[in-house]
Amino acid sequence: MTTRQRLDLLARAYPRLFPRTELLHLLRDQLGHVDALDTWIRREDVRVRARAPKIIYHICAGNLAVSAWTSLAHGLLLGAHNVVKLPGDRDEGNRPSSTTRREILAFIRGLPAPLRKLVETHRELDVDLLHQAEVIVAFGADTTMKGLRALIRWDQKFIAHGHALSLLWLADPNRLTPRQARACAVDILIYDQLGCLSPQAIYVPPGTDFYSLGRKLAHALEAHWLGLKKKPARPLSVAARIAEARDMAHALGHRVWLPPKHHLGWTLIHNPDPAFQPSPLHGVITLREAGESRLGAALASVAGRISTVGITDRLSARLENVFLGLGVSRFCAAGRMQFPPLTWHHDGRSSLADLVAWIDSENFE
Amino acid sequence: MSVVSGNPNGVAIIQPRVAAQPLPWEGYAEAPTLKGLKRGLNGFSSRACRRISSVVLIKSMPLDFAQPVVRRAWLRQLLAPIDEAKWNDLARELFAWQFAQVPAYRRLCLAHGVTPESMASWRDIPAVPQQLFKQTLLYAHGSAPPAAIYVTSGTTTGQPGRQHLLGTDIYRAVTVEGARRAGLLAREVELHFLTPSPAEASYSSLSAMFGFWQKAFRQIFPRPRFWVRHGHFEFSRLRETLTTQIKARRPVAICGTAFSFVHLIDAWADLPPLRLPRGSWLLETGGFKGRSREISKTRLYSQLARTFTVRDTAIWNEYGMSELSSQAYAHGTHGLHHTPPWARVLVCDPATGREVRVGKQGLVRWIDLANTDSVLALQTLDVAERTPHGFRLIGRLPRTEPRGCSLSADDLVAHGESSSPTP
Repeated sequence: MTTRQRLDLLARAYPRLFPRTELLHLLRDQLGHVDALDTWIRREDVRVRARAPKIIYHICAGNLAVSAWTSLAHGLLLGAHNVVKLPGDRDEGNRPSSTTRREILAFIRGLPAPLRKLVETHRELDVDLLHQAEVIVAFGADTTMKGLRALIRWDQKFIAHGHALSLLWLADPNRLTPRQARACAVDILIYDQLGCLSPQAIYVPPGTDFYSLGRKLAHALEAHWLGLKKKPARPLSVAARIAEARDMAHALGHRVWLPPKHHLGWTLIHNPDPAFQPSPLHGVITLREAGESRLGAALASVAGRISTVGITDRLSARLENVFLGLGVSRFCAAGRMQFPPLTWHHDGRSSLADLVAWIDSENFE
Repeated sequence: MSVVSGNPNGVAIIQPRVAAQPLPWEGYAEAPTLKGLKRGLNGFSSRACRRISSVVLIKSMPLDFAQPVVRRAWLRQLLAPIDEAKWNDLARELFAWQFAQVPAYRRLCLAHGVTPESMASWRDIPAVPQQLFKQTLLYAHGSAPPAAIYVTSGTTTGQPGRQHLLGTDIYRAVTVEGARRAGLLAREVELHFLTPSPAEASYSSLSAMFGFWQKAFRQIFPRPRFWVRHGHFEFSRLRETLTTQIKARRPVAICGTAFSFVHLIDAWADLPPLRLPRGSWLLETGGFKGRSREISKTRLYSQLARTFTVRDTAIWNEYGMSELSSQAYAHGTHGLHHTPPWARVLVCDPATGREVRVGKQGLVRWIDLANTDSVLALQTLDVAERTPHGFRLIGRLPRTEPRGCSLSADDLVAHGESSSPTP
């Protein structure tokens, strides 16, 4: 089966998740040519072709299925055999992750048979298979990554996606339009804020009218929540975190915006301390004020771990430098944080190009 | 005889005191006296006292828990029989005092729309998240210097919480009386503590409690021993001492954290089990937060029973925390926890803030009338099942839902720890 055939099958099975044009663009962007895996491609005086790994071992995180889907799509596009280590019933923190496992299995079931043959799933880590893989792609906690690194050989490629977080930056919050507020609400509430692309805080410049901003954001959050067809569950553990965050904020004298009837869909808090603190997630988002001169210090504790900054309006060159200095790997418009293009450099890496090896054939005539 | 009582509505309460049994703390902590009350309380009706010599009466007034005489009177009430109406009155009084004195608590209560005036039942009292002790000072005595500051572990956020006590009088009395009423400390045993002594760990509420036990029962438990010194367990010396006491057929009690018992089991893994004399018991408390390894309660109890040749029911669990003054006790692997009369536990649904039905799981919320110096109502993240006559503690809520690649507070702490220089 050629790359184009696999691409077509994948795009037909999941046209919204993996549009054909985007997959073609991904191959061109990262391998230089759509057919680079199937034929020699001329690059100046040298002919090259890409070689896909025979086996890719995907280790999936328990929080979200989407990272596993994307990783698997990359492997399928390359025609590799894909071993998938599913999340267990509980992850390393004893937290339930069976929903994610079901979603990954549903994705695999939805693949056309020729692609499905390229996938096998395991509940437990199979160390023998792990050692046979040329590439290991892993998502999850830093401790998981550390443990895996100790297991793999030096000649295996290990692509680890550990902990990260994302932020929103509102350049002109006093003029936030309803559309921008809606975009922020989308970023915050999609996937129940569980991924590394989910914003955990909203940063605004000094001089912000928090009363007005909070009202606009609260309105947008509630509208988005009401529009969700399938609202995320709020089991005991989640409800406890949300209630705790609200009560802490009340007691500390922070301004809190809550939904009507105080349902647990979303919570907006204004914390006057600019220093970043992780959110309990599940729709809990904190507004913090920090100007260009203070932002670096406010985010110092998470330097190197900031994945995406979603922006409304514009980003000044000075502020961009502050974020670059903090190791931010992606800027995008608010509302697009959770929808990176397939060509996105996840954690700064070329997701497809990193998986392949290259064969050179020089002119020997 | 009568007991002291009062309420904020201007109505004095006179209640007959039940036949007074000598209390363990009497003679150690100064008991409230009629003379002391007359001297210390403004508005006290001395005429009424003269007329009814056996009645002690406090005219209603805003209580000030900074006054020693009020603290003693309060303590006397806590240790006397408490019916539902009195419980409600006492809770209302303490709530009103703390609402006025603790700004963070007042803000929380106002956000919940609960004030001393609007509160209908003690069940409506808002509870502070346990985590709040790590973020702000919850102390009802303003700038008055505390006699003790107990520090929580801080293992979940890296920042410890602090419980400030103006005096240790109430804490001392209720920890002793609570253990006695639970059935511990009822007969002579040789006490051993797998903790540092209070002198070595003045920040530890657990060491303080064990120290109070020892002092309150000094006459019948003459030789208590703290087997953690300078941060090290002295298990070999403990074993030697236990062996001697076993030979003399003297019952022993060994008290410590679950974590310390795990270390003890590991240290004695290759040694033959000890056969503790009849009447001996073990008491474990706390969890394994952030410790080297965790084992289930069932496994811990089975290993303890084997190591010490005691029945499962001779192993007790103490459920308490530094942010509170009172403790609940259970014995045996599947034992239900019971609070002393002056403290209650509600098993609540965090989504509604209301109690769950019997048989359902929720989060433990403490209402502790002995916790006068900070906040009486504490919302924990401990999961329990509500039972008809108590609660079954299930364990600590997992820190978070699956985060995968998303950074959490725990991860941030771990990140900070791993990136900090090591000596």
